Amino acid sequence: MSRALTLLALAVLFVLPVAVLVLQAAAPGWRYPDLVPADLSWSGLAQTLRHPAPMLTALASSLGYSLATVLATVAMTMAPARFLAHASFRGKHLLEGLLLTPALVPAMTYSMGLHFVFIRLGLADNVTGVVLVLSIAGYPYMLRSLTTACVHIGRDYRTCALNLGASPWRAFLQVELPLLLPALAAGGSVVFLVAFSEYFLVFLIGGGTVPSFTGYLFPVITSSNRGLGALVTLIFLAVPVALFLTLEVLLGGYFRRRGMR
Amino acid sequence: MARPLLPLLLPFAGIFAAGLCLTLCQSLGLFLPLGSTGPTPEHYATVLGSAAMQRSFLFTLYVSLVSALGSVTLGTGLGYMVWKLPARLRQTAVVYKVGLILPHVAVAFLVLLYFGQTGLLASLLHRLGLAPTPQDFPQVLYAGDGLGMILAYMFKGTPFAMLMTLAVLFGFDTRLLQTAAMLGAGRFHAFRRVTLPRLLPAMHSAFIILFLYAFGAFDIPFLLGESRPGMLAMRVYDIYFRKDLTERPQAMAILALMFAFTALFTMLYNALARRVDDRGRKL
Amino acid sequence: MLRHIFLAMLGILALAGAARAAGDIDAMTHADMLAAARGTEVRWHMWGGSDQINAWVDGYVATEAEKRFGITLVRVPMDAAVFVNKLLTEKAAGKDTGTMDLLWINGENFRNARQAGLLYGPFLDRMPSFRAYYDPEQSRYDFGFPVDGFEAPYGRAQFVFEYDSARVPNPPRNYAELKAWILANPGRFTYPQPPDFTGSAFIRQVFYATTGGHGQYMQGLDTKLYAKNAPAAWTWLNEIKPALWREGRTYPRDAAALDTLFARGEVDMCMSYHPAHAQMKILEKTYPGTVRTFVMEEGTISNTHFTAVPFNAPNKAGAMVVADFLMSPDAQLSKYLPANWGDLPALDVARLPAEQAGAFAAVDLGAATLPAGVLAGAAVPEIPSGYLELLENDWEKHVLDQ
Repeated sequence: MSRALTLLALAVLFVLPVAVLVLQAAAPGWRYPDLVPADLSWSGLAQTLRHPAPMLTALASSLGYSLATVLATVAMTMAPARFLAHASFRGKHLLEGLLLTPALVPAMTYSMGLHFVFIRLGLADNVTGVVLVLSIAGYPYMLRSLTTACVHIGRDYRTCALNLGASPWRAFLQVELPLLLPALAAGGSVVFLVAFSEYFLVFLIGGGTVPSFTGYLFPVITSSNRGLGALVTLIFLAVPVALFLTLEVLLGGYFRRRGMR
Repeated sequence: MARPLLPLLLPFAGIFAAGLCLTLCQSLGLFLPLGSTGPTPEHYATVLGSAAMQRSFLFTLYVSLVSALGSVTLGTGLGYMVWKLPARLRQTAVVYKVGLILPHVAVAFLVLLYFGQTGLLASLLHRLGLAPTPQDFPQVLYAGDGLGMILAYMFKGTPFAMLMTLAVLFGFDTRLLQTAAMLGAGRFHAFRRVTLPRLLPAMHSAFIILFLYAFGAFDIPFLLGESRPGMLAMRVYDIYFRKDLTERPQAMAILALMFAFTALFTMLYNALARRVDDRGRKL
Repeated sequence: MLRHIFLAMLGILALAGAARAAGDIDAMTHADMLAAARGTEVRWHMWGGSDQINAWVDGYVATEAEKRFGITLVRVPMDAAVFVNKLLTEKAAGKDTGTMDLLWINGENFRNARQAGLLYGPFLDRMPSFRAYYDPEQSRYDFGFPVDGFEAPYGRAQFVFEYDSARVPNPPRNYAELKAWILANPGRFTYPQPPDFTGSAFIRQVFYATTGGHGQYMQGLDTKLYAKNAPAAWTWLNEIKPALWREGRTYPRDAAALDTLFARGEVDMCMSYHPAHAQMKILEKTYPGTVRTFVMEEGTISNTHFTAVPFNAPNKAGAMVVADFLMSPDAQLSKYLPANWGDLPALDVARLPAEQAGAFAAVDLGAATLPAGVLAGAAVPEIPSGYLELLENDWEKHVLDQ
């Protein structure tokens, strides 16, 4: 009984909306009071996709800056995470807490102050500025994930590699990095989602010059074109899922080859 | 000691902290596009003195508290129920990640699709004969009570709370529960005295994260918010983008106040939560 | 598709260095502009709230710009107030090479931009389409503010109300009847929240209707007159407020949101600043075929909308080529077709060769659109933009926050 209830709750909350979106995308004319679409022809979808260029541009742009943000956060947090995992000094907890604040305080509070200065520095209205500000909003997740992993792995593997004569770089690349891959994947997934889902920061700092997929969806939502809205929403689901699955397969294959799992 | 930290400290100070400082400066009338006119506290006086703004603050507080509380309650409950499922069924629970992946914008669209007066639920009630016309369907969206926004935040927040709870539950030593059962605790009693105290820290984290997000976010209020009282983020947006440049310091003053409030709230909440947790873990 | 994504990515990366070496732009003839514009990109910032208009720009205009001039047209959806604000900030920050090439602008946004020196110009006299087909008198002023060649007319619009004749057999004929109808049908009427363009136009007409007509306001802003008259409009709007959709606690954010409410039957009346908007929505199958439009006995306001070029546009030549194309008979005709947009032509049809004039006359605006004579007879001019801003700000104070 309670099992059925659990499964029902999950289905109603998370499966039904996806089904509704698929139907709405397939039948843009579906409206009140029909409980199921009267006309399921897929021709509506073709109508929706008459001019796909702006949508694809927005999607490509969002993918581009989101992936760049992931890379930027890795560059920002790799050394600090390894340091924070093993060092102990006064005020460490305070510092760690402080470094996580960008994920907590509203992004508006710092980004709007920055806007004017970014314009002066030539960082507004281009991808660099967008990636910078998104990295601030996203890096705490990467830092958290990497620090935890570094604590977990410990320093012994590295010491061992160094004792066997590996250079510090080689020890990092061939010993530590592979061990950190799952944490990188986990942190990267969250950072990617944060960047990919963000509307306001891209709108503010990108200033309309950097297209975003969220920005593409915004006007569609209030318009009466529900088919297009549903389609875009589905893509929002499909793209990250596809990325995560690919990542999972790649990582799985890598670890099998290296015999680590 | 700080050298390995530099790649992080530099952007932290140069972008995040600098951004906060600039917001503060501009709220005082300094470094504005039209030149400096301060420092002056007048913009704070304008913002704090406005009755409409006070209503916006209380409304924002209300929406974010209710949605965070609702998400944590629902998410913990669902997480617990999923954990109770037999292992082979647990796999299916992965569908909850749909709610994690969809951006807030998309969730707002779903809420419109479901709860509009001519939405899916209205169609359902129409079919059942309970609400023959759209006017008979209760006003869920844009009714002035923020319900649409709360629903959207809960749809995003519930899976997040589930994620946090499940992370704890899957690492949970079930022997504790068996011991409790052997000592004669009923299922409810065991949950309250053994499971719940171990979930509390995760629930607190989830609550504070969700609360802070809802308090300061822009997307959902833009799409599902009412004109008045209006969420604070919306008021900031309107002043910044749709009003005269001379009013910009007011937007910055609201932001500075929002920052101060979130910092204060987090500190107080954490202090309080720690005391509650310590009491609960005596078992 | 993959190629497309790849190209888009490249385009985005290349944007940062988009500054082009241009000759002296002020001395360029249209032929020079055509030569300079080939192979460039023009970023047109415009209101993005209408799917149909967006589709027309992404489809017809972008295709023709590519085919005729080798220009890649990129539409950037952004509210006019937002891009004017952005330009102001850029000007203050000393950013001489911006990111916007062309703007869709009029009214108070044009005045603000012009007064702050945000626009490039004058350029209108160098536009061949304007010289050939336009009556300069018709677009000398924009909301009472002199155009002075700093913006190029590309369409005319007139405010109409929309209703479903199947649901409302006898629509109101004047503002007194409208008020009575609203009070008799609570929850079935609302207007977009000013400063939305359409909602703002609605309250201006209420201002005209409740204070004795537009004539007295045409000489520019008179604050004494405004202070005396405005309360009557606020009273009218506050009296209907409890009978509005959601009891006036909230208003649709923009015209598109109101369209959606109307299309779904949540309200019984809608309004648009485009006379053929209802027909377009019928053709799009968003509105039922029984939707019709009406104007009030007190008249409805009409205006001209324009394109302009920012002072720091990176591609001014390209922008002017597109602005000129938008004024050309071909573009005006395409825009006039209700299936595309249904926007009234800004050009003077009388100046066209007979064959082209015939093509304009042959356009069927559909049953939902009022005949040109009825529209012209009801047209009243826009208010000077000083009034407009006061009305928008005070509406917030006296109606929204009440």
